[in-house]
Amino acid sequence: MPDPLIARLKTLIVTTLKLEDVTPAQMADDEPLIGSGLNLDSIDALELVVTLEKEFGIKISSSEESRTALASIAHLAEFIRARADPARLPR
Amino acid sequence: MSAPTPPASSPPARNPGPSWGYRFLCGCDAILPEWIFRPLRWLGTAIALVNMPAQRAHSRAYLAAVTGRAPSRRDLLRHFFAFEEFLMLRLRVARGRPHRGDLAADADGFRDLLASGEPALLGTFHVGHSDLTGFLIGPQERRRVFMVRQRVDNSHDTEVLGARFAEWITFIWVNDPSNLLFALKDAVAAGGSVALKCDRLEFSAKTEAFQFLGARRLFPFTIYHLALIFRRPVILSVGLPAGPGRSTVHSSPLFRPDDAGKAANLARARAHFQDFLARLEGHLRADPLLWFNFTPLNPPAP
Repeated sequence: MPDPLIARLKTLIVTTLKLEDVTPAQMADDEPLIGSGLNLDSIDALELVVTLEKEFGIKISSSEESRTALASIAHLAEFIRARADPARLPR
Repeated sequence: MSAPTPPASSPPARNPGPSWGYRFLCGCDAILPEWIFRPLRWLGTAIALVNMPAQRAHSRAYLAAVTGRAPSRRDLLRHFFAFEEFLMLRLRVARGRPHRGDLAADADGFRDLLASGEPALLGTFHVGHSDLTGFLIGPQERRRVFMVRQRVDNSHDTEVLGARFAEWITFIWVNDPSNLLFALKDAVAAGGSVALKCDRLEFSAKTEAFQFLGARRLFPFTIYHLALIFRRPVILSVGLPAGPGRSTVHSSPLFRPDDAGKAANLARARAHFQDFLARLEGHLRADPLLWFNFTPLNPPAP
């Protein structure tokens, strides 16, 4: 059974960044989001951060924190779970 | 309100003058009559010209591109002196000299923005009196403006200006490019307008090529991506000298992100930026000394 938060994050990443050559199903949980892997740049990361803040009511306040959070989808899910109101998480 | 981002690393030596230079100029300005001080500034500028070979080479490259001929030493000296005189103006305004910025007839975009009262992303250039625009518009129009600045050893002029206009101006000091975008996010969240320079590639996460001075050259394009992310309008402007104590602000129309999608918005943004660059080039061809470009000319697109 796939983790609903991870599934939601993959969809958010693809739709927010309008990724055309990758689908949520093709994304590995441990795939790096920045640099290698999806190769997001700093503007993509910012756009994603703004979307995540709205979606889950969390705050990512520095590039260092974003690098930690966006290390991979699994890291991102862990980061959000630790900070978001559980009621806002997908079940 | 404090600046959201402290400098994270040692500043690069971009402003090559000594750290005491501005204080020295202020001291001389306070005690020397202008008929003595101005020739001394010419002399000081000539000494700077001799001792700054890199800046001299960049000035030469820019002037050659804008005039279409090899600049003379006198041209280079006048270019350096134009910059020195603008620094002097900043220092004088910082110390209380009255200075007013008026909107030009073609600045309808700026008028629309001020009438709307909404915060915006203000794109500007190292041209003429542009550096003063935020300081003038803030208090005149009672708008809070966040300005992105790189802290260097001699940021005294900017700090003094900031102190004079502290009620309206907040600096985002950025020396770590990775933190710039998060500092901007905080500034936008605080509801202010954010002023960004749009002519130098340093710290720009996104660049694109535009026709400028006879070639397709790279320019920062981050401001439009930020506009799409934060749903904020963009306005580009320059402040040009308009006689003693006055600057005239020329602006683009407002670029407002719409719901047409990212690709369509960015296509419209490219046209918006190119149109303003063409107007800017017209100003520079009429008065080449206006662009204080002592860094490498924007490179042609690969």
